[in-house]
Amino acid sequence: MFSDYAALIVLLPVIAFVLTLFLGKRLYSGGALIPIAAIAGSFIISLGIFFEIYPGGMVQQSIPWFSSGISQMNMGILIDPLAIVMLLMVSFVSLLIHIYAVGYMSHDPAKSRYFAETSLFTAAMLSVILSDNILQFFISWEVVGLCSFLLIGFWYHKPSAAAAAKKAFLVTRVGDVLFLAGIVMLYVNLVEIINNPANAFKIEPGNFLLQFKTMFEAIPLIDKTQLTYITLLFFGGAVGKSGQFPLHGWLPDAMEGPTTVSALIHAATMVTAGVYLVARTFPMFVATPDTMSAGVPDSLLIVAYVGGFTALFAATMGLVMNDIKRVLAYSTVSQLGYMMLALGTAGTVLGAGAVGISMFHLISHAFFKALLFLCAGSVIHAVGTNDIREMGGLFSKMKITGTTMFIAALSLAGIGIPFLSIGTAGFFSKDRIIEGAFEYGEKTGDLIPYAFAVIAALLTSIYIFRLWFMAFTGKPRSDRHSHESPNVMTVPLMILALFALFFGFSQLAFYGYVETNFELMGVEIAIHEGEAVHPPVLIVLLPVIVGVLGFLISYAIYYKRMLDMSKIISSENPLYKLLLNRYYEPKIGADLIGVKLTHDVVAQSGEFIDRKIIDGLIIDTIISNTIFKIGGLIRKLQTGVVQNYASITILGVALLLVILRLKFGGI
Amino acid sequence: MALYSYLLISIIIFTIGVYGIITQRSGIKILMCIELLLNSANLNLVAFSSYNGNSTGQVFALFSIAIAAAEAAIGFAILVALFRLRDTINLDNINILRW
Repeated sequence: MFSDYAALIVLLPVIAFVLTLFLGKRLYSGGALIPIAAIAGSFIISLGIFFEIYPGGMVQQSIPWFSSGISQMNMGILIDPLAIVMLLMVSFVSLLIHIYAVGYMSHDPAKSRYFAETSLFTAAMLSVILSDNILQFFISWEVVGLCSFLLIGFWYHKPSAAAAAKKAFLVTRVGDVLFLAGIVMLYVNLVEIINNPANAFKIEPGNFLLQFKTMFEAIPLIDKTQLTYITLLFFGGAVGKSGQFPLHGWLPDAMEGPTTVSALIHAATMVTAGVYLVARTFPMFVATPDTMSAGVPDSLLIVAYVGGFTALFAATMGLVMNDIKRVLAYSTVSQLGYMMLALGTAGTVLGAGAVGISMFHLISHAFFKALLFLCAGSVIHAVGTNDIREMGGLFSKMKITGTTMFIAALSLAGIGIPFLSIGTAGFFSKDRIIEGAFEYGEKTGDLIPYAFAVIAALLTSIYIFRLWFMAFTGKPRSDRHSHESPNVMTVPLMILALFALFFGFSQLAFYGYVETNFELMGVEIAIHEGEAVHPPVLIVLLPVIVGVLGFLISYAIYYKRMLDMSKIISSENPLYKLLLNRYYEPKIGADLIGVKLTHDVVAQSGEFIDRKIIDGLIIDTIISNTIFKIGGLIRKLQTGVVQNYASITILGVALLLVILRLKFGGI
Repeated sequence: MALYSYLLISIIIFTIGVYGIITQRSGIKILMCIELLLNSANLNLVAFSSYNGNSTGQVFALFSIAIAAAEAAIGFAILVALFRLRDTINLDNINILRW
């Protein structure tokens, strides 16, 4: 019954967007109740569909959109296990963030614009998840990008926010162009396959060209080298959207938006789209050649390395940031790296199981990261600054925020009790990823991704507890007064904290459910042969050990103050300088590539050609002069006297009559 | 023979109308000339209708008269508005649309 209304999952927030935009100003709290009701509706429908299709069911609906020759495109809905878990997570987390925002944005004069845009943002993300074809996926993906631009630049009168919005838009655009190129390449390949009679490949009635189903069926027929390029281009899109190295720079800058927007972007509605893209097209990634034999690298290997490197790279920067939201932003980049790492490494050894592992981390990350951001928002709301050096001792005043943030930190650090299967959500999800990386290392002899993952886990634990200890313990380092946030903000925190604590227990059911995803679509993913690896006890324990170790290090340094950090934190220390300047990424990205290369070289020479040669020589002297002269002559005809016009008209009609009479003799 | 005389009158009225539009400078006179044009056409319609024994033309002439009334009302309204604005309805002075 609920499946019949699947389209409403997207349409409700879209309607809420229109209503809030036009009517919001006159309603309570900028019309916040409309998006909240709409997203709650989306969540309820998603939940209903989940109970209808669990386990082993799917919802497929599609209508023709346009067609030209064999290029028949459609718009449609595909809800498989992969999509339904994402739908539930996105609508649920987004709902909580919207409720929280009623409190958080209460002082903002442009509330109705905020709620309209976040509603559209959620709708776009839900549409990405629901898409059954890559074209619709891409369109929704672009709408997500647009909304992120609008929301990051929400306080557009602040120059830094406007710049951050532009940066986010431009950097993700690089990825989007790659993604689009991948789609074009895929399209060309599919058309070739269908036109080649030797393949006997045809699209069944009711199916369409760029549907995921058709794409997966065509995988064995696509040239392997081409397939690798297509998947790498798709991955390029995912790198842009999910803030992977080297396109990660926009994500920390995106902190210029309201904190609730950061929570939305980081937990629910944007950055996970990249991971979801790779998961969605995972059969294509798995089908790429395993070795360098084809002359091209294995896509999964690249996914694993980019992910692993990003996980470590971002975590190092998280260690030194002083802005509470920036630390969390680097943490997101790092955790997204983990998800990519899981797809890459576990994909090689476990096949379809990797999707389950990665998605499980994605969803548990969504819970604890949304929680972290909302806690940070609560702190910022109370203290009025982002700088953790000016906080301290907040726990006595903000017990709920402090406790829930501690739970989120535990979950992010992946702390739990091994063997008893008791632990936070992050414990189960991250553990499984690191084990997967180890199995990959065992089978291929390549332990580098595993090493990346373990070191990043240690750094994760250090930076998140550093944040917590600096903000909530010790003596207040500034005389800002602080207070606990209102209920409308703390209740979502507590709900999210419950999920961050207990979501992990669903892991076995979750893996089993999502693993069947591609089987349901009739796609076989080759699982690599070989004995299941049973990692040594130390390997199983290592993630927890480094998690606890990180906690102890932070405890010693930032709570007990056993080590004088002032010697290390100084502009003398080159390593600290490098990290604090974020590996000079803003300098390289904005100043070198943006200003020097793009503006000074490309744009300036383009301007020279346009202004001096095309405008100056050709247009000014030749075309425009001639036209001006002729025009000057002709415009004398316009006397402005109506009678002149009338006379000419009558003369013309008379002339026409004479001509007709002479020519045809009739009339 | 009867038709011929009707058409002759129609042509004369039409020509007077055209002559008036071209030569006159006062807006009101031009509007009156336009009415002459319309009425010459109406006369034509009725004449042919009567000649062919078909009432369609007569009905059409009725429509045409009704529309002419509306057109005249709008035309005079424009002239009144123009007079308030410029204190003149002499079309020679109303030429801001020229080059």
